Amino acid sequence: MTLAKPARPSRSLPGFGLTLGFSLFYLSLLVLLPLSMVFLKTAGLSWEEFLGVVTDKRVVASYKLSFGTAFLAAVINLVFGILIAWVFTRYRFPFRRLLDGLIDLPFALPTAVAGIALTTLYAEQGWIGQWIPFKIVYTPIGITMALVFVGLPFVVRMVQPILQGLERELEEASYMMGATRLQTFQHIIFPEIVPAALTGFALTFARALGEYGSVVFIAGNMPMKTEITPLIIMTKLEQYDYAGATAIAVVMLVISFILLLCINGLQWWASRKTEEN
Amino acid sequence: MIRLTDISKRFGNYQALKGIDLDIPSGELVALLGPSGSGKTSLLRIIAGLEGADEGSIRFDADEGNELEKNVGFVFQHYALFKHMTVFENVAYGLKVKKRKDRLPKKVIREKVLELLKLVRLEGFADRYPSQLSGGQRQRVALARTLAVEPKILLLDEPFGALDAKVRKELRRWLRRLHDEVAVTTIFVTHDQEEALDVADRIVILNDGKIIQEGSPDEVYHHPNSPFVYNFLGDVNLFKGRLEKGKLHQGVCEWEINGDIVSQSETAVGFVRPHDISISRDHALKDSVPAWITYIQAFGKSVRIELKRQDSEEYLEAELSREQFTELRLQIKELVFVKPNQLHVFTPDDYVI
Repeated sequence: MTLAKPARPSRSLPGFGLTLGFSLFYLSLLVLLPLSMVFLKTAGLSWEEFLGVVTDKRVVASYKLSFGTAFLAAVINLVFGILIAWVFTRYRFPFRRLLDGLIDLPFALPTAVAGIALTTLYAEQGWIGQWIPFKIVYTPIGITMALVFVGLPFVVRMVQPILQGLERELEEASYMMGATRLQTFQHIIFPEIVPAALTGFALTFARALGEYGSVVFIAGNMPMKTEITPLIIMTKLEQYDYAGATAIAVVMLVISFILLLCINGLQWWASRKTEEN
Repeated sequence: MIRLTDISKRFGNYQALKGIDLDIPSGELVALLGPSGSGKTSLLRIIAGLEGADEGSIRFDADEGNELEKNVGFVFQHYALFKHMTVFENVAYGLKVKKRKDRLPKKVIREKVLELLKLVRLEGFADRYPSQLSGGQRQRVALARTLAVEPKILLLDEPFGALDAKVRKELRRWLRRLHDEVAVTTIFVTHDQEEALDVADRIVILNDGKIIQEGSPDEVYHHPNSPFVYNFLGDVNLFKGRLEKGKLHQGVCEWEINGDIVSQSETAVGFVRPHDISISRDHALKDSVPAWITYIQAFGKSVRIELKRQDSEEYLEAELSREQFTELRLQIKELVFVKPNQLHVFTPDDYVI
C-alpha cells in the first residue's frame, strides 16, 4: 500500500518558480553583471594604488560635492514635490492637466539640453541671472538646481496616487473631532504619504548622484570646487585610466548602496504600521 | 434643540434638499429615513457642518434658550478609522488634538479611553489596528472615538449599512441602550424602514429632497399620510375602486374605509398590509374577492401567501399566522376568498405630495 503524497501547498497564482527565475536572470544580466565588472576592473589595482586613487584630495572634494548636492536636491524635491502633488490632487484650476503633464518633462528632455538651458538663464548676464545678486552658475547652487530639475518627477509621482486614494472621510472625521487643518495634515495625511515620499526621495537622491549630462554645463568643473565625481570618472576614462575610473566608481557604488539601504530601512519603518493592515 | 429652517441644497443641477423645516428636541433618537437619493445624507452632513446649505438656517439651542456650543459627533458609514493608529490612538485622537489649555493630562486621557472601550465592549482591543477588527468592531471603535469628545449631538450616517443582518440587529439595539445611557441627541440616517421603526423615537421620512412625514414609529406606520410612506414602510396590496357614501367600491364588492376621507374624488386606491388580509373558503358576497393561491412560503413564525385574483388577475400578498395557516390547510392552486380587514384609502390628490 502506498501513501498518497502530501499535496503541495497551493498558491493562489501559479508560476512562482518561473517568474522568480526569470527576474533573477534579468537582474543579473542588466544590473549585477555590469556592476561586478566594475569591481573586477578595480581589482587590477593594488590596495595601495586603490587607496591612492580614491583618497586623492581632488576626488575626496568631488565626493563631498556630489553627495552634498544630491542630498540637498533630494530634500528640496521632497518638500516641493509633496507641495506640487498636493496642489494637483486637491485643487481644480485651468490647465491643470497640461501642467500635470509638464511634470514628467525633465525625464524626457535630454539632460544636456536642460543643463545648457539652465546655464543660459542663470548665467551672470542671463535673463534671470542678471537680477540675482550672487553667482549661481559655476557654483554648487547651480549644480543643485540642475539636480532638482532632473529629479523633479519622482516625489510628485510617488505621492500623487496616495493623496488621490486618500478617503475624504478621514479628514472629515478628524475635523469633526475638533482637529485643526494643520493637525489633520500632521496626524492623518502626513503619515499616509511618508512611505511614498521617502521612496521618491531615495529615487531622486540616486538619480542625482549619477547625473552627469545636465551638471557638466552648469558646474564649470573647477577642480576642488565644482567638479562632481561622475565627471572625474569621465576624465579618467578619457585618459584611458580604466582602473582608476572604476576604483572611484566602486567607492560611489558602495556609499550609495549603504545610503539607499538606510533610506529603505527608514521607509520600512515608516510603512510598518500601514503594512500590517 | 436643533431647529432647521427652510434648508435647501443644490449639487450642480441636482436639487438635493428643497426647503426642509425640522425641529429636533434634545435627547431624542431620530431616524432620517428615505430611499437613496432622497437627500437624507445631505441633510445630516449639513447638520454636521460638513456641508453648507445654500439657503436656510440651522440653530443649535440649549434648553434654556441660549445658543449651544456646537458640539457634534459624526459617525461615518465606512467608519473612517485612522488605519495607521491603534484602536487606543483612534479613540484618544479627539482628546489629543484639543488646545493645550483644554487638553486633559495624559493619564486622564488614558483612563477615559479605556472606559470608552469598555462601554463599546472592546476592552482587550486597545493595541490592535483597525485592519485586525471585524466590521462590527470597527463600527464600535468609530462610535467610541466620536463619544470621546462628549458631543451633545451624535450623528450617524447609515451606521449599520455595511454590516451583516445579525450584527446589524444587535448593534442597533445596543445603540438604543447607549442613547438612553449617555444623554445625547442622536440622529441617524437609514434606508432600512425596519431599523428606523425598531430603534427611533421619531422618524422623519424624506423623499426627493422633502420631508414627507414625521412622527413616532407608531404614527407613521399606522397613519401614513401618503401612498409613498405607506409603500416605503412595508409591503402593500392595492385595491383600486371608487368612493361612494364613505365606502370603497370595486365591482360588486364594497369595503368600509379606515379614517375619514375629505376628498371629493370618486376614484381612490385602498392600501392593505399583507397581515391585514384574511383568507377564507366561504364565499361572502359583499366584501371578498376570489383568488387563486400561487405560492406559499411557510418558514418562520408567519406564512406568506401569494395570490392571483380571479377577476383582474392582479397579484396579492397575504401574511397569516402559523395557527391560522394550519387551521385552514391551504394548498397551492386552490381557489379562496380574500378580504381586506383594514383599508387605508388614498385619492389621486394624495399622490401629488
